[in-house]
Amino acid sequence: MIRAVTRRVVTGVAVLWAAATAAYLALLAAPGDIVDSIIGDGADTPQIRAEIISEWNLDRPAVVQYLDYLWRAAQGDLGRSYLLHRPVHDVIGGQILPTLKLAAAAAVFGVLLALILAVTTRHRWVRRASSTAELFLVSTPPFLIGIVLLSVFSFRFGIFPVSGDRGGAALVLPAITLGLPIAGVLAQVLRDGLDRALDEPFAVTARARGLRERAVLIRHALRHALMPAVTMLGWLSGVLLGGVVIIEQVFGRPGLGQVTLQAVGNGDMPVVLAVVVLAAVVFVVISTLADLAYLLIDPRLRRS
Amino acid sequence: MRRTRPAAAVLALALALTAACSSGTTGAADAGQPVSGGSLTWAIETEPITFNPHQYAQAKARLLVWNSFEALLTHDAQGGYVPWLATGYEVSPDGKTYTFKLRTDVTFSDGTKFDAAAVKANVDQFQVEGYNPQVLAVQLRNLASVEVADASTVVFKLTQPDVLLLDFLSSPQGAQVSPKSLKEARNLKAGGPELAGTGPFILDRYTAGQEVHFTRNPAYNWAPATAGHSGPAYLDEVTYRFLKESSVRVGALTSGQVQVIEGVPATDEALITANKQLTLGRGLNSGSAFSYYFNTAHAPFDDIRVRRAFREAVDVDAVLTGVYRGSATRAWSVIGPTSPFYDKTLEKTYGGDAAEANRLLDEAGWSARDAEGFRTKDGKRLTVRLVQSAPFIRDRRDVLAQAVQAQVKQSAGIDLTVTVADQGTAAKALADGAYEVFENSRADTDAGAALSLLLTSTGSINRTGFKDAGLDRLLQDGQASTDQAKRLAAYQQVQKLVITDQALILPLYAPADQIAFGNTVGGVGFEPTAGVPGSAYNVWLSK
Repeated sequence: MIRAVTRRVVTGVAVLWAAATAAYLALLAAPGDIVDSIIGDGADTPQIRAEIISEWNLDRPAVVQYLDYLWRAAQGDLGRSYLLHRPVHDVIGGQILPTLKLAAAAAVFGVLLALILAVTTRHRWVRRASSTAELFLVSTPPFLIGIVLLSVFSFRFGIFPVSGDRGGAALVLPAITLGLPIAGVLAQVLRDGLDRALDEPFAVTARARGLRERAVLIRHALRHALMPAVTMLGWLSGVLLGGVVIIEQVFGRPGLGQVTLQAVGNGDMPVVLAVVVLAAVVFVVISTLADLAYLLIDPRLRRS
Repeated sequence: MRRTRPAAAVLALALALTAACSSGTTGAADAGQPVSGGSLTWAIETEPITFNPHQYAQAKARLLVWNSFEALLTHDAQGGYVPWLATGYEVSPDGKTYTFKLRTDVTFSDGTKFDAAAVKANVDQFQVEGYNPQVLAVQLRNLASVEVADASTVVFKLTQPDVLLLDFLSSPQGAQVSPKSLKEARNLKAGGPELAGTGPFILDRYTAGQEVHFTRNPAYNWAPATAGHSGPAYLDEVTYRFLKESSVRVGALTSGQVQVIEGVPATDEALITANKQLTLGRGLNSGSAFSYYFNTAHAPFDDIRVRRAFREAVDVDAVLTGVYRGSATRAWSVIGPTSPFYDKTLEKTYGGDAAEANRLLDEAGWSARDAEGFRTKDGKRLTVRLVQSAPFIRDRRDVLAQAVQAQVKQSAGIDLTVTVADQGTAAKALADGAYEVFENSRADTDAGAALSLLLTSTGSINRTGFKDAGLDRLLQDGQASTDQAKRLAAYQQVQKLVITDQALILPLYAPADQIAFGNTVGGVGFEPTAGVPGSAYNVWLSK
């Protein structure tokens, strides 16, 4: 047990280090240097450049800057934003909660909707209609879904407010926008899983014991169908992080998406690095949870 | 619908005209007489990078600055300077000493008294390394020292005559921040609630990515004479919400979730003008017009005939109509048409003559054509490159570039390649000289400030590579004198030189700002001379 936990922690740290290093190298390889990014489209003279370089200690070799960055990151100091002139943990800290709220709400909505769709649409034509609708949701850009939902439920009927992180009502439309494509993909995966499970001998046995079809479906087949869906949790975290960039922009919500977009566009290295590391943390946590979920769902794995 | 359109269009035009003349307010008819109280929500396009006025660099953020901060001087509608926190100023005969008398009844919202020492502390702050090297290198480059003569008198000593000191002292960068905040703020360069100013509102809450909130400063009683009223602001509080998507801003306005919006693109204007409950106002910005600058440092634009040919190959009116649906104002000079220095005689003197473009190119030796129909010379295609920096693209300038690209190809066989890149790539292209066309507009209140950056031989944004002692001298003359007539004469010669004689620039349009608001709102308007949306000081909500 302890060995398993230790291995998890060590690989987790290795993933974090790899993510930070890869991001650092990518930013280093990007055209233009940091001074260009800080100057933006404003006045540009050698004197201005010299001051910026000395302000941020950019005259040190890249390796030294990288090691210094790692050393300070290990101590919890993520540095200061070149662009916003605030400590990175301030810039990001204030934005984590709204993004988490949105991501959690969207994930819960998406997963529940997928479960309901997969279980209730077993009949042939309902199933075909649902499947088509799911495909439509998956292939529609979230931007468009968001604008349409806003136009109808906010601008036309005034049920939900348009923007911000202000109470539950403001969370509904963004969560649905982000959750719908997730539901689309998961429902398809679950349905496939159910199909396969219902063809298995154990389903026949269960039916022979006199179980109703619904009970076979929910108590036995669903468990099997969940396995491939759980494998997709890592994918889910990626979709959520990528999705919030657009959703937050459309709905005027605070959050990491906006911060990331701005930081990447302006070459705000300390913020970009922090976001990458944060995303890696989330990924490590989620994949650990997925591993635990396998144990929970499949008793056979617990024994081995 | 069909019947209201022309009326709405006329109204919008009338508003645009009054706004262009920099009238103080619009839309007063609907909302009646000003009343005190109420809270207003205003959706804006751009979330400021900083709330410290000294670090101001986004014209789109200017409407927020003057809510909580003020400067020594401000502009009247004619581009002249009027007292604000200063009561007046004197210039020594040699133009190197500016003496300001200050108001004695002003306090910062943190209780600190505003006096000459505060002014000195603000200007001296720019000497701190890394605080704002750009302002130090440009606006304050001729400043020798700031001296406190007495509590209400402050003296600026210059190394050489420079009237742009006045522009600095009326600009957001010259706004007065409480010396206490300058000393104690933890994130000074980021600004926010910890920075106190003297303005009619106090910034008390900032939620990054969502909104910034101001409450009325009840002690405020020092509005400039041009402000429109005196005493505290009408509104109890005002919230600016950051809504980056224009269609979302318009939807929020039409559904009454916000009362005012800023930034209405041409594609959304019809939604506003078709609605009788809403009013659209448009203000032309001061500063330099949005223009293409030709890089004369290498071929093909080192040949003036090719520069002229490019200008003749573009039918600017057709391009603007296509991209902005008639809502853009064409520019004819490097200076915007609302500036007092604008040279109107340049209008209709060039452009849109495809036959002339082709004649010039034939003459310059670009007479052969390749398989794709582009002109060539010695087997080399007539290619010119424009690199756009994605974070700074606004007003659909990427679409505009495509329209120009199509025009010069069709009418003269010129190959304009347009690249939209990240800021680093774009900056590298400029540094390496890997461009032939550079696009820019600047929102400086005094157009002279923009010209000296863009056109002087050593200018920090001189991307034309054009260096001329005569031009430098003219720009210096325009900047040295406080005599408006002398400045006008100098800048008119500058415009003639760069537009007519050297064809260095293709001016495209005068940047504008739009505001739209419901009929319960009064006093929304544009800042005189600057032409950008004004602060919330004059705004009221009818009950």
